[in-house]
Parts: sequence; C-alpha cells; structure tokens
Amino acid sequence: MTLKDQVAIVTGGSRGIGRAVVLALAREGARVAFVYKGSTEAAQALEAEAAAAGLVAKAHQADVADPAAGDRVVAAVLADWGRVDILVNNAGVIRDKLFVQLEADDWNTVIGTNLNGVFAFCKAVSKQMVFKQRSGRIINVSSIAADHVNKGQSNYAASKGAVNSLTRVLAAELGSRNVLVNAVAPGFIETDMSAAVRNMAGEDGLKKLIPVKRLGKPEDIASVVVFLAGPAAAYITGQVITVDGGLSLGAIS
Amino acid sequence: MTHDEIFAKVRATLVDALNVDDNEVTPTARLKGDLNAESIDFLDIVFRLERQFGFSIPREDLFPESIFQGDPKFVAGGKITEPGLVELQTRMPYADLTEFRKDPRLDKMEDLFTVDLIVNYLQSRVNAK
Ligand SMILES: NC(=O)c1ccc[n+]([C@@H]2O[C@H](COP(=O)([O-])OP(=O)(O)OC[C@H]3O[C@@H](n4cnc5c(N)ncnc54)[C@H](OP(=O)(O)O)[C@@H]3O)[C@@H](O)[C@H]2O)c1
Repeated sequence: MTLKDQVAIVTGGSRGIGRAVVLALAREGARVAFVYKGSTEAAQALEAEAAAAGLVAKAHQADVADPAAGDRVVAAVLADWGRVDILVNNAGVIRDKLFVQLEADDWNTVIGTNLNGVFAFCKAVSKQMVFKQRSGRIINVSSIAADHVNKGQSNYAASKGAVNSLTRVLAAELGSRNVLVNAVAPGFIETDMSAAVRNMAGEDGLKKLIPVKRLGKPEDIASVVVFLAGPAAAYITGQVITVDGGLSLGAIS
Repeated sequence: MTHDEIFAKVRATLVDALNVDDNEVTPTARLKGDLNAESIDFLDIVFRLERQFGFSIPREDLFPESIFQGDPKFVAGGKITEPGLVELQTRMPYADLTEFRKDPRLDKMEDLFTVDLIVNYLQSRVNAK
C-alpha cells in the first residue's frame, strides 16, 4: 500500500473515471472524500462498496462550478481527517455543439465545471498543502481533446487546454514546497460521458483509430492517477500524461 | 515590545518558514540572497507574522517588490530614478536606503529585504498602537 494514512479528495467520484480513481486510491490505503453532483444513489453505493471491502470513501454533495464548493468540501475534509495529501480534479462535463450553434450557456457550463471548478478546488487546498503541510499532490484529469481537435468541442477543448496551462504554472509555483501538480489526458474511455460518441461512431470504427485496438477503461486512468499520487512519482511535476492507447499518435493506417 | 523581543519572534518565524538554522538569521541576512526565500516564502512569512503579532500586514507594506511596475518615471535603464528612490523611501520609511542609493539597480532591490527590515517594520507597527 503506497498511500497509507493519506487523505485524498476526488471530484466527480460517483461515476466513470472518478469512481475507479476513488477505489484505486482507497485500495492503496488512502481515506478518500469524493464529490458528486446529483447521483446520490451511485454515491451511496460507492460508499457501501468501499466499506464492504474495508476501505474508506466518503461522499460529499457539491457542484464544483459553485465558487463556494471548494472551500466548503475542503473544510469538511479537514474537520474529518485533518489533512489533504491528494487532490484529484476529475469532475467534468461536455456540451458538444458546432460553434455556430453553441450558446453562452453551453460555454459557461463547461468552463464553469471543467476549469473554474479546478481553480476553486486547487485554491481551497493550496494553503493547506503549501504552508501547513509543505507537501501534496494535485492531479487534474484533462483530455487529449485539449490538443487534438474534435469538431464540436470548442468549449471542452478550451477548458482542458486551460487546465493543462494551469497545471504547469501551479507546478512551477508550488514545487519548492513539495506540492507536485500534474495532469492526465485520457483518450476514449468507456464511461457515460463517451457513450453518445461510442453509439454514433460505433465501437469498431473507434477501435480502428486506436493502436492498441480497444477503448480505455476507467481503471486504465485510475492506475496512472495512483502512480502520480504515490512515492514513485516524487520527481514528476508540471506534466500532462497522455493515456489513450496511442489514439493521439494520429497513425493513418 | 523591545527591538530584541521582536527580533526573537521574527527569527523564530523565519526558521520555521524557511527551514534555516537559528544562527543564519542575523539582522543583516537578506531573505533571498542569504536565506534563499522564494516569492511564495514571502507570502508564508507574512501569514506567519500576522498570526504571531495579531495584526494584518499588507504584503505590499513589507515587501513592495512590484511598486514600480516598469513606470519610466521610477525606473530607467534598469535603475531606480531619484523620484523612484523618494517613492521607495515613502513606502518603506523603516528602510535604510543609504547603501542602496549608491547603485540603485532594480535587480538589487531584493537585497533591501533583510531580517532587520522586517524587525524595523514591525517595530513601527507596534509603536503606532
Ligand atoms: N470518458 C472519456 O472518454 C474521457 C476522455 C477524456 C477526458 N475525460 C475526462 O475525465 C473526467 C471524468 O469523465 P467521465 O468520463 O468519468 O465522466 P462521467 O462518466 O460523465 O462522470 C462525471 C462525474 O463527474 C461528476 N460531475 C459532473 N459535473 C459535476 C459538477 N458540476 N459538480 C460535481 N461533480 C460533477 C459526476 O457526478 P454525478 O454522478 O453526480 O453527475 C460524475 O461523478 C472528466 O473531466 C472528463 O472530461 C473523459
């Protein structure tokens, strides 16, 4: 167990990639607080599944796009467990539309959740990690869509590109206090988020584009998050690690 | 509070904030040049002093690093102009600029941030009460 006695916060932990991250961190010995927005049943089921396995995972309801959410959740976690060693900013949404059809609301929802949410949670843990603990790991779940163009994702790509930039600047600012900041950029992962695209494109069509010939699973991302959170990654900061089975290589045939 | 009492508190604060030894924190030690403080450490020091002394300390009061913002009236050719020096002295009445005036290079301004400067600043704040 590489994360024994550590405390982690995972946003968007009720489903998909975040859920796998919660379980993977907990299996390494961390106590995990996870944030969900609306899926109360899924959140409770995850708490129960963790408890049954002798792991610690506690749900916190919050909308990460609410500017007060970061401080509130972090304060609750500090009250429970007294520290925060790991923050995984994973909550994210898509509102795919061609730009001419995109409304301000689509833009603001995506930026509000995927970017402002990351800001608020980073901000909320920063003083604790930098000044009180002088250690910490922040792992942002980005996307290959930041650098590889998908039509219809101007809002989403902008949000993830900004997260990558934020990751690098934070890494530079916080490195001297042993707070390491990295991002993981997944490719196609089998979750609710990618379901619509998978349905439309057909899984076989997608697999052709991916050198390892399969879609990713949430666990493929979770294992990299665990690595970045753990002692083996003590000398990595400011990086965006692509985890996509080779999709972004853009091999033509 | 006497000068020595304030110095002792400041030294304890710097030892904690910068992971340095007691004996490195001399009155003339420069925070960056001698004690290896980085910009984030300046914030940390301010927070810790606020807690120690129980009053708020505007960061720009104590470490007005960016007061000139490249204003040509205050900075020219990498040096602080005479009006700039006057401005600096107004902002930091507790700073002794005698040495600095001889070669007022902007990149040497950080040398002004010494342990004594913090002590003098705090002394002026404590006295004003
Ligand atoms: N799936 C992919 O192919 C893929 C590829 C690249 C990057 N990513 C990124 O990976 C991350 C996770 O994606 P996923 O595929 O696991 O998505 P998902 O299956 O749709 O799950 C999203 C999770 O985020 C939570 N969430 C969404 N909006 C929130 C908000 N405003 N406040 C709090 N929680 C919120 C959801 O909570 P509720 O259950 O309560 O709604 C849920 O737990 C996202 O950042 C996404 O951009 C995914």
